[in-house]
Amino acid sequence: MSLLLFFITSAFMSISIIMFRNKTITRIITSGFALLHIWFTVHSWSNLNNTDMVYFTYNSSGVLLLSVLSLLIIPTVYHGFIYASGDDLKKYNIYHAGLVALVTFMSGAYLANGMTVLWIFVEATTLAVAALIYHDRTETALEATWKYVFICSTGIALAYLGILFLGFIYGRGDASSLSFRSLSGLIDRADPLYLKIAFVFVMIGFSTKMGLFPMHTVTIDAHSVAPPPVSALISTALMNVGFLAIFRVYTLFSFSPILPFMNSVLIIAGLLSLLVAAGYMLKAKHLKRMLAYSSLENMGLVAIAVGIGGEAWYAAFLLIVLHSLAKSSLFFQMGQLSRILGTFRLDDAGRYMKLYPAGALVLLAGVFCILAIPPSGLFITEFLVFKEMVYTDRWLVLIPSIILLCFVIYAMSTRIMHVIFSDPRSPEIILPQEKVNPAETISQFVFLGIVVLFCFYQPPFLVDLINETFALLPK
Amino acid sequence: MMITYLIVLFAVTLVYFASAERLTTYVHLVGLQGLLLCGIALFELKEVDTANLAFIVSETLAFKTILIPYLLTRIIKRSGVSKVHRQAMPGFYLLLFSILALLISVLLASSLRNPFINTIYMTIAIYTLFTGMLLIVTHRLIISHLIGFLIVENSVFIFSLAVGSSMPMLINIGILLDIFVGVLILGFFGLRLKPHTNELTRLKD
Repeated sequence: MSLLLFFITSAFMSISIIMFRNKTITRIITSGFALLHIWFTVHSWSNLNNTDMVYFTYNSSGVLLLSVLSLLIIPTVYHGFIYASGDDLKKYNIYHAGLVALVTFMSGAYLANGMTVLWIFVEATTLAVAALIYHDRTETALEATWKYVFICSTGIALAYLGILFLGFIYGRGDASSLSFRSLSGLIDRADPLYLKIAFVFVMIGFSTKMGLFPMHTVTIDAHSVAPPPVSALISTALMNVGFLAIFRVYTLFSFSPILPFMNSVLIIAGLLSLLVAAGYMLKAKHLKRMLAYSSLENMGLVAIAVGIGGEAWYAAFLLIVLHSLAKSSLFFQMGQLSRILGTFRLDDAGRYMKLYPAGALVLLAGVFCILAIPPSGLFITEFLVFKEMVYTDRWLVLIPSIILLCFVIYAMSTRIMHVIFSDPRSPEIILPQEKVNPAETISQFVFLGIVVLFCFYQPPFLVDLINETFALLPK
Repeated sequence: MMITYLIVLFAVTLVYFASAERLTTYVHLVGLQGLLLCGIALFELKEVDTANLAFIVSETLAFKTILIPYLLTRIIKRSGVSKVHRQAMPGFYLLLFSILALLISVLLASSLRNPFINTIYMTIAIYTLFTGMLLIVTHRLIISHLIGFLIVENSVFIFSLAVGSSMPMLINIGILLDIFVGVLILGFFGLRLKPHTNELTRLKD
């Protein structure tokens, strides 16, 4: 019933934001929602593995990613207040109502215990994200939103086809019959060809959310124009929704004969994601697009890790968690960078250390963390993935992965160093001098601190929770 | 028997899509497909309770047959583009691809035999999916992409009708997709895109 309370309160808050035409009230309601979400996450921890409202379960993977979302929500709301402060009331309220709706839909998707409910919540996130990407009402915002909605809709339709193929396996029943629990009893009797088709459709469909090749383009364009706090959320928590949807189907089918097929598909998709990310990062001229390609690279690694199995499953979840913290910090920082430099274009950016040392330090630490350079916690995750590749003799995956990651490290580090230490390449650019309070970077330093801490210490409760997420997979 | 006629007629509209060059023809075909799907739903969903059947049929009529073609017509009027052939693969080649897609669909459907779905349903649903994808890939106009997506969505609807009698909630979820497409994509974005916009190329690396 707590979940119902959460949904009703969230809906009420989102509607109230639109109804009350006052920025202060909007700020109070949005802050209240952030606190509500944190309460809900605490409640989820205390009800681990319990079912709520038939269609939702506080399972380990869902609660893990819900906790990450709860961590992100306060800085997202805070940076959103700053970003939208100059907007007119209508835009301001739509932004915050959209944010509340997006976080609610993502929370529902994390906890859904069946394919149909999961699909509905994923579809709903598209609506909320569309409202947020279109925030600036520019031509490019319209183009990005259009592409996002169109490609996501195609993906959603394909994912739905995958669900229908699951329906053909089951044949009869109501919505609850497509729950993961009831389907798991039928999988070993199902036609493997149907399972393969269902997996491919679901994977392509939910890749639009996970940002994985071949549906990655949609998120790249969205990042170019979305407000930085929104980018922080859609390149982390929303990608985690896509990952979780694919992982749930992977877990469901893992005891069927198609496990090797699924592993191959994931590894190929992961390698192609790495290839595309490395290629485009080498020619990236827009800082936010570069960070978006970095997300593609990390999701590619996650897909490879799931496909490899063994210890790499643990690494995949840890990577998802730490990537969320590091990438959101970088996107939050992009918001401050644009206020100081007035641009996201690489050629027009520079001298950041001189203009805003606190922000430059975040960029520097953030790029080390996201590139998995020690002492980043992401180093541990990549180390575990590569170790598992060596143990399982997957040299054909290991060698291209390492080569492509070298390109990514080169492309990203040179560009960020240019922004921090060099002069802008365009000499005529006059840098605007908006003052930004260094205190705005606190949440970013905290997140990056957590990422570094994980290199040395991983809390046992978190390790146990992650281990529980793949306990159902075949050893 | 009636259902078979309707499904075959539906397949004919798909072949016509491949050879048509005028956007208004596309819109008429989309409307006709909506009507045919309405008929198929009416004859197929015998086990569904009356209220649910009435909802499904009225939704199909309202959205697929009336609202979506109406919105498409408005978008075409605004854009001032009437033909697709200049910015698409020539109709002859498209027709060849379409026939090839039909053959592949027949082969796929016969290899995917299942007690819960009729082979003819499966064939036409797969063929519809291929036709929609073909239109999206081979055409460059945004409006053609939209129509391609609507065809993909019709494919999903046929699939859901196939198991609809025993799992009506799957159709209801498919209807959510209809509303999503009709209201948001066509109604909001389709009408907001600039009239002369045929390609979206501002955002690139």
